Amino acid sequence: MNYANTYLKLADFGRELLNKKSLREGIPLISKYAKEVISASRCSIFIYDAQKNTLWTTLSDGIEKIEVTSNKGIVGKTIKEKKPLIVNDAYSHPDFLVDVDKESGYKTDNLITAPIFDSNRRIIGILELLNKEGGFDSEDMKFMIFFAHYISGFIELITQVKKEG
Amino acid sequence: MRQFDKIAEFGQKLMALQNIEESLQLISDEAKEIVNAQRCSIFIVDEEDKMLWTKLSDGIGRIVVSLNSGIVGDTYLKKEPQIVNEPYKDERFLASIDKKSGYITKNMITVPIYNSKREVMGIIQLLNKTMSDFNRKDLETLTFFANFVSGSLELAILKST
Repeated sequence: MNYANTYLKLADFGRELLNKKSLREGIPLISKYAKEVISASRCSIFIYDAQKNTLWTTLSDGIEKIEVTSNKGIVGKTIKEKKPLIVNDAYSHPDFLVDVDKESGYKTDNLITAPIFDSNRRIIGILELLNKEGGFDSEDMKFMIFFAHYISGFIELITQVKKEG
Repeated sequence: MRQFDKIAEFGQKLMALQNIEESLQLISDEAKEIVNAQRCSIFIVDEEDKMLWTKLSDGIGRIVVSLNSGIVGDTYLKKEPQIVNEPYKDERFLASIDKKSGYITKNMITVPIYNSKREVMGIIQLLNKTMSDFNRKDLETLTFFANFVSGSLELAILKST
């Protein structure tokens, strides 16, 4: 897939995102946009707390917070390696957590992740997309890296500046 | 919350701009305002030609320096922000630029801007903070600011090439 057009229109998304005043409002917008442009079925955004070494995410309605383990699975591997990952055959990957699928009743075929860094180049979150027909490729990864960086300012603004009042 | 709204509003303005010249001007004006500095230059890294260039610096027009020269070059090499409150006592300082512009640099702060690949793609340089020297708080503010504008700047550079 060619992302040239997406890059040209990315600023429209960015402006809309900055209308959101909280992660609860912002995360569903980011998810919806990422799914659309990358043509994936699901998107999760995990917010990472390095001090507590925990990750949390919201369910699809964007309301309920759930905490997940930060040192396991493909997401854990992404944090450890500090780089994006593509897994096009989830069930044959040693790090894939089959239990998560069992609990949710949703079958993951393939996935892509990208770390989100703050201004001090520490990981503040992980962007994850699931199930793209035909799997994810290097063009998807390039866009994921760009997009994760593009939204990092918003996530840092919400988590840092807002906290200070 | 007021600060949040101000930054968000600035971000939306920045994202509405269509070309890199306008983007650099807006970033530069905002940076000066948030740390109370008189002048700002935004240097863009040109890896191929091993140069750092500005489109437009306050009062001097275009500046081009090699990647390893001056305090800006050192910021690029070390990937670390620099506070220089006595530039004329700093051996890295390029006094020739002051001579050319006729402007005296009293103090300086520089902060690297990273792209999505975590490479330094540019450097924000601010000169002459009014009333006091640059401090730790300015550095923290500008580090956040550099990341906040980096996505838009990377997009603007991508569109202009």
